Amino acid sequence: MSTKKSLIKEAPLLEVKNLETAFDIEGTDYNAVDNVSFTVKPRQIVGVVGESGCGKSVMSLSIMKLLPKGIGKIKSGEVIFDGINLEKMTESQINKIRGKDVSMIFQEPMTSLNPVFTIGYQLQEVLFNHMKITKKEARQRAIALLKSVGISRPEKIVDEYPHQLSGGMRQRVMIAIAIACQPKLLIADEPTTALDVTVQAQILELLREIQSVNDMSVILITHDLGVIAEMCDEVIVMYAGRIVERTDVDTLFHNPKHPYTTLLMGAIPKMDETEERLSSIQGIVPSLTNMPKSGCRFAHRCPKAMPECFTITPKLEDVEQGHEVACLLFETSKPKEGVR
Amino acid sequence: MELVTQNEKNVMITPPKKSLSPWALARKKFVKNKMAMISSIFLLIVAVISFLAPYITTADITRINIGEMALEPSNKHWFGTDKAGRDVFTRLLYGGRISLLVGMSCTLFVILLGTFIGAVAGYFGGAVDSLLMRFTDFILNFPFLVFVIVLNAILFGKVSGLWVLIGVISFLSWGGIARIVRSKILAEKENEYITAAIAIGCSPAKIIVKHLLPNVLSTIIVQATITFATMIVVESGLSYLGFGVPQEIPSWGNMLNSANEPDVLQFKLWIWVPPALIITITILSINFIGEGLKDAFNPKSRR
Repeated sequence: MSTKKSLIKEAPLLEVKNLETAFDIEGTDYNAVDNVSFTVKPRQIVGVVGESGCGKSVMSLSIMKLLPKGIGKIKSGEVIFDGINLEKMTESQINKIRGKDVSMIFQEPMTSLNPVFTIGYQLQEVLFNHMKITKKEARQRAIALLKSVGISRPEKIVDEYPHQLSGGMRQRVMIAIAIACQPKLLIADEPTTALDVTVQAQILELLREIQSVNDMSVILITHDLGVIAEMCDEVIVMYAGRIVERTDVDTLFHNPKHPYTTLLMGAIPKMDETEERLSSIQGIVPSLTNMPKSGCRFAHRCPKAMPECFTITPKLEDVEQGHEVACLLFETSKPKEGVR
Repeated sequence: MELVTQNEKNVMITPPKKSLSPWALARKKFVKNKMAMISSIFLLIVAVISFLAPYITTADITRINIGEMALEPSNKHWFGTDKAGRDVFTRLLYGGRISLLVGMSCTLFVILLGTFIGAVAGYFGGAVDSLLMRFTDFILNFPFLVFVIVLNAILFGKVSGLWVLIGVISFLSWGGIARIVRSKILAEKENEYITAAIAIGCSPAKIIVKHLLPNVLSTIIVQATITFATMIVVESGLSYLGFGVPQEIPSWGNMLNSANEPDVLQFKLWIWVPPALIITITILSINFIGEGLKDAFNPKSRR
C-alpha cells in the first residue's frame, strides 16, 4: 500500500464534480446524491462506504449513466473520465466507453446474467461490442478470461447456462465480463454482498489480483468496513447522499474525524471485547422524501450535534493534508465548543 | 448380493448428464406431450397435402360444370360436387392452401408488428410508450367487421383481393400482441442482467433484440399459435359472409358460403360438412399445439 501512496500526485482518471442525482417522486425531485465530488487516480482502489440507502449505488450508476429511465436523472455536475465529460455524451457515444474503458460488477450475481444465453455467449458479446474479432478468437478469449478469474474447466463452463453455476462462480463470470476489454476503471457495486463469507474472501482476493495485473482503478462500493480495510487505498464515507469524510484507509481507521465515521467504527465487533451488546447508531438514514431541508443530514442522529448543525450545511474541507471532513466540529472558521 | 451388482450396473449405465439449454428442455417436454404431438403431425399432413394439391388431383377448381351439379359422393367425385359442379375434394385441398396461407401470413404480420410496437413501447417507456399504446388502443377500438368490409370494398379490384384481406386483417389485429409483449418487456427489463448488458456497451436495439426478445419469445410463440387459429376462424367467418377471400378463389370459408341455403344445409351435407370439419379439427389441433408449447415453456410444469 505504501508504494501506491507515491502515485497520488498523478492526474486523476476519474473526476466527479458536484454531482447531483435526483429521483422524481410524484412530481418532486429528491436528491439521492447531493453535491458529491471526488477523484480516482490511476491504479487506485477507492472504497465507498455507508449505510443502506445513502446513495452509494445511485452514485455509481450515475457515473455510467445507468439510472432507471424516467425516474432518476442527473441534475447537475460533471463526471470527467480520462479527460472526457461523460455527462455530456450521447447514449451511443457512451456505449463505446461502457464495458471497454469503464465496467461494472453488480451486487446480485444470480440475476446479472441473462438466463437464455450460455456463459460463453455473454462473454463474447462484450468482446464483439468493442473489438474486431473473429468468432473463434472470441471463444478462445472467453475461455482464457474464465481461466483468469479462477474457474476450473473453463472449456466446459463456457458452454453452460447461468442456472448451472453457483453464486460465486457467476460472480467470477461477471468479473470476467467486466475485465474482458481491460477497462481502466472498474466499478464494483457490493460485489460480495450476496455471497457467503469464504467465497467473499476469494472474490476480493481475485479482484485485488486482477487490479494489480491489469493496472486498473477500482471503485469498490460496500457497507463492510472489513472489506474496505482489506482492499482500499482511499475511502469515501457517504451519508444520506453526501460525502462526510474522505481520506486514505490508514487515517480513516486510526484517526476517524466525522462523528458518523467514529460511530461506524465503534459498530465493528471486536474479538477482544467483553461487552455483550454491539454498539449501534440509533435511528435510521432518513428516507429520500424525508431529508432535513437544511443543516447536516446526520445531525438528528449525531451525539455531538450542536444547535447550528440543524441550520448550517457543513462543507467538505481539508482538516489535514488529504483528509477531508464535512462537519461543523472541524470547520476551521468555527469555534470547537461543541466537542465533549 | 445381487442387489449390489444391480446398483453398480445402473451407475455405470447412466451417462453423464449433458447440459440442456432452456430451448432444448422445452423441446423435450413438447415431444413428450402426446396431444400436442398428434396435433402437430395432423397439421403437418394437412399443410403438406394442401401444398401438394396440384399433384394429388387434376380436376379444375374454377370451371363451372353444369352437367355435374351437386352430385353425391361417388368414385369419380370422392366428396361429391358442389352446386356449380366443382369437385368438393379438390376444392378442399386448394382451399386448405388459401386458408392456411391467409392464417399464416396474418399471424406473421400480426406477430411482427405487435412485437415491434410492444417491445419499443415497453423498453423506452415514457412518451414513446404513451404514444404507441394510445395508437394501439385506437386500433383495438375499431369495429373490426365493419372496417374489414368497408376497406375490402374500397380496395377491391385495385390490388389482388387475397392480399388486401391479409393486410386488412393484420392491420386490425396486432393490438393484443403489442399489449402482451409490452407488459412482458416491462417486467423483463427490470432484471439486473439488462442493466449489466447496458453496462457493457450494448445499444438499445441490441438490448431489445438480443436480450429482451429471447426472454419473451416463449410468450410470443404461444401467442402466435393462438393467433394462427384465430386468423383461420376470421378468414372463414368473413368468407362465409362473402366479404373475405374473393369468391373465385376456393377457401374453406368460401366453401361454407353455399351452406346458407336451406336445401344445401339440410340435404346436401357433402358440400359443407368436409370444410366445416376440417376447419374445426385444424383449429383444435393448433390450440392443442399452443397448449403444449405453453406447458413446455413453463418451468413449473413437470409432465
